[in-house]
Amino acid sequence: MRTRSWLPLASMSTLIVALGAYAAIRQDAFLTTYNIGNLLLTTMPLALVAMGQTVALLVRGFDVSVAALMTMCVVAASFTLKPGASTLALVAGALAVVGIGVATGVFNATLIRFFRLPSIIATLGTLSILEGASLWLRSAPAGAISSDVVETLNSSMSFLPFAFVGVAVLAVLGDLWLYRTRPGLALRAVGLDETSSRRLGMRTGLVILLAFVTCSVLASFAGFYLAAEVQIGSPIIGNQALESIAAAVLGGAALSGGRGSFVGSLLAALFLTEIDNVLPLFQQPTEYAEMTIGGLILLALLLYQAPELVGRLRAGRRKVAPLPARTEGAAPA
Amino acid sequence: MSEPQGAGGLAAGAPSPKPEGSVVLSLRGVSKAFGAVQALRDVGFDCRAGEIHALVGENGSGKSTLLGIASGFVRSDAGTVEIGGRRLRRASPAEARRLGLGMVYQTYSHVQGLSVAQNLFLAVAGAGQPPFRRMESWAAEQLAAFQLDLPPDAPAAALSLAERQLLEVVKALLARPRVLLLDEPTTALGPADVERLHQLVFEQSRTGVGIAYVSHRLPEVLDIADRITVLRDGVGQGTFEASAMSEDSLVTLMIGRPLQLAFPERPGAPSPSDVVLATEGLHGDRFGPIDLSVAAGEIVGIAGAEGNGQLQFLRALAGAEPAAGRATCEGRGLDLGSPLGPLRAGVVLLSGDRAGEALFPVLSVRANATIQILRRFGRLGILRRGRERQAVDELGQRLRIRAASIEQPVQSLSGGNQQKVSLTRPFLRGSVKVILAEEPTQGVDVGSRFEIYEALRQKASEGVAMIIKSSDPLELAGLCDRVVVMSRGRIVQEIAGGELGERRIVEAIVGSGVVNAAKAGP
Repeated sequence: MRTRSWLPLASMSTLIVALGAYAAIRQDAFLTTYNIGNLLLTTMPLALVAMGQTVALLVRGFDVSVAALMTMCVVAASFTLKPGASTLALVAGALAVVGIGVATGVFNATLIRFFRLPSIIATLGTLSILEGASLWLRSAPAGAISSDVVETLNSSMSFLPFAFVGVAVLAVLGDLWLYRTRPGLALRAVGLDETSSRRLGMRTGLVILLAFVTCSVLASFAGFYLAAEVQIGSPIIGNQALESIAAAVLGGAALSGGRGSFVGSLLAALFLTEIDNVLPLFQQPTEYAEMTIGGLILLALLLYQAPELVGRLRAGRRKVAPLPARTEGAAPA
Repeated sequence: MSEPQGAGGLAAGAPSPKPEGSVVLSLRGVSKAFGAVQALRDVGFDCRAGEIHALVGENGSGKSTLLGIASGFVRSDAGTVEIGGRRLRRASPAEARRLGLGMVYQTYSHVQGLSVAQNLFLAVAGAGQPPFRRMESWAAEQLAAFQLDLPPDAPAAALSLAERQLLEVVKALLARPRVLLLDEPTTALGPADVERLHQLVFEQSRTGVGIAYVSHRLPEVLDIADRITVLRDGVGQGTFEASAMSEDSLVTLMIGRPLQLAFPERPGAPSPSDVVLATEGLHGDRFGPIDLSVAAGEIVGIAGAEGNGQLQFLRALAGAEPAAGRATCEGRGLDLGSPLGPLRAGVVLLSGDRAGEALFPVLSVRANATIQILRRFGRLGILRRGRERQAVDELGQRLRIRAASIEQPVQSLSGGNQQKVSLTRPFLRGSVKVILAEEPTQGVDVGSRFEIYEALRQKASEGVAMIIKSSDPLELAGLCDRVVVMSRGRIVQEIAGGELGERRIVEAIVGSGVVNAAKAGP
């Protein structure tokens, strides 16, 4: 149990350091403050959306609409965060973008809780709606995003982006909340067994609603960093839906609910981005990157399952403890 | 607060001469339908502070639904629920808990993926909740206070059924309820644990907690209850003083006719030479070595206190539990490596875990009955539904399965009818040599019980050897030709012929435990 929760963190950290060390030895361009700062910044969208996805997975749900929501937020930002706008207008514009996230979360949760649709199907519908809406608003990339906003989001302390520090703190606090507080325990309980949780007196509907809203809001935050990256209202930018699930699962989330780690998903997001960052340095075509990522995901998942697999193998061999030396059978009284 | 007596919805039962205690739970005019089935029709009852109020009725009579409505887990179609004089305004377990209701569910309410301590912690809301970091030591204190010897950090999934049931009670009591509802709390318990649970319930009622107790075990009910409300087919049959009732009179109210014959006739001693199933030194992690042989047409019962390896032994014979040693069926060795070997040899296990193992809850009666033998109803790989339907229809009538149609999903049937559906399988299979039945009448009403006994006996008379594991000594005494009593994984006594009786079995269970405990000393 304990091993299982530490395994993802340990293996992700190991992989990040190992890949980084390899890249640093082979390529001078890797271990530069510019590249590291850039790597940490480009991790931001995936890190945030993976943490959101972790919340959905914790309550045994999926949210495949996150990528479309991120795109929608980029497109919306190209309208609400225009260059030259006053600070007040920018704050209002940012709130409007987050509002889209909240509304999407409530919409998803309503479909799932009230209409009892499976989360993967419900969010698939939301995904299409949001994709269509983005294309309707911007049929092609257009509309610059305020450079003030971009600079604020990308500001850093020497090479270390403030944003990354913030997201790391958020992840640590999130895990402490999840594993060291009662609401965190309640969230996991709902994911593990909804019926029992309801019988225990928890408001499971509210918990699931909040989980999906949190997921969408984190996805809209991810949208800001995506906007800061592309700096233009592109309707076809977000494609992190599957990556966000991959990162959450690599970070220790279980599809069966009740298990996951925010720090784990942050590390996994960093690792996946690191692969993207390193491969061009070696002039490797990206198809190798794709295949490597797939292979590593499967390997990591097998590793996480190891305790269970070993248990199953043991049970599978159906070995029985040897018979104790036969004492005289218990005689009837 | 409403007056306890003369309330509407109560059928004209005996007026209660014991007016002590205020009403802590009051249900009025409650009705509920599940699809076409009217589960409850204008039912009401009161539970007073300090009273143990039993609800009895056959399975499917609506007891569990009534408790579900009282606890806010099930939404009623009509009627009111008052807890501690305050109305439960919406169907919400959280709200019912806040008003002071504790519920002990038959099918448990703890989260399997969490530990004992975490489950206890989540069961306490608001004040009285310890700080998170003190959870384990707090849980240990609570467990000790209820004399429950469980490690707080153990995963709930690793507990035995009896331990889970006791944990479930402790969990409900931690919230300091004014009224405690227990739904069939003793089904999984052996005699010693039943005693312990009843002790706990008595103590609570003495401190003024009102107890509503649902059970199908009438001796227990008569033993523990102050008043008894009887339900039949979702309609209240009245509330009575327990002291004025007998098992007989309760059964009459429950089924509407005096129950004459409880067990089918035994056809006479089977020939012991005609051995079908035999084990030699069969052992597993929790049982053995066991040598046992069962003749054709013979029904052998396995008795014992819960958790003494009876279940593991039975399941090992079906290849569902690891085991070593030798087992033969009609002289040929059985491959116990997987359930496939015994199944091919004609050994059928009727699992006691109906929803989890024996049945596919969302599939229909028909699909559940024929799922293993579909080939018989096919021609060139195409199923001929007419033939299949006819076979299931006939059998359904013979076993008296009460369903709107054979297309009804089994999850909407009562426990007794679900059990009958799982019994259809050995009847439909051609080549059954051995039936291993695990608690064949657990959670099954009186009327259906006899039908199940009859079906089992009939199958035995066709030459099938049968082993029945049951925690009900009365059932074993009435149904079986021979009963073996297990303790700590071994057979310690064998009871047959004129000796065979409920009392004798209970004595053997209790006595054997003492013998083994003494043996374990030096």
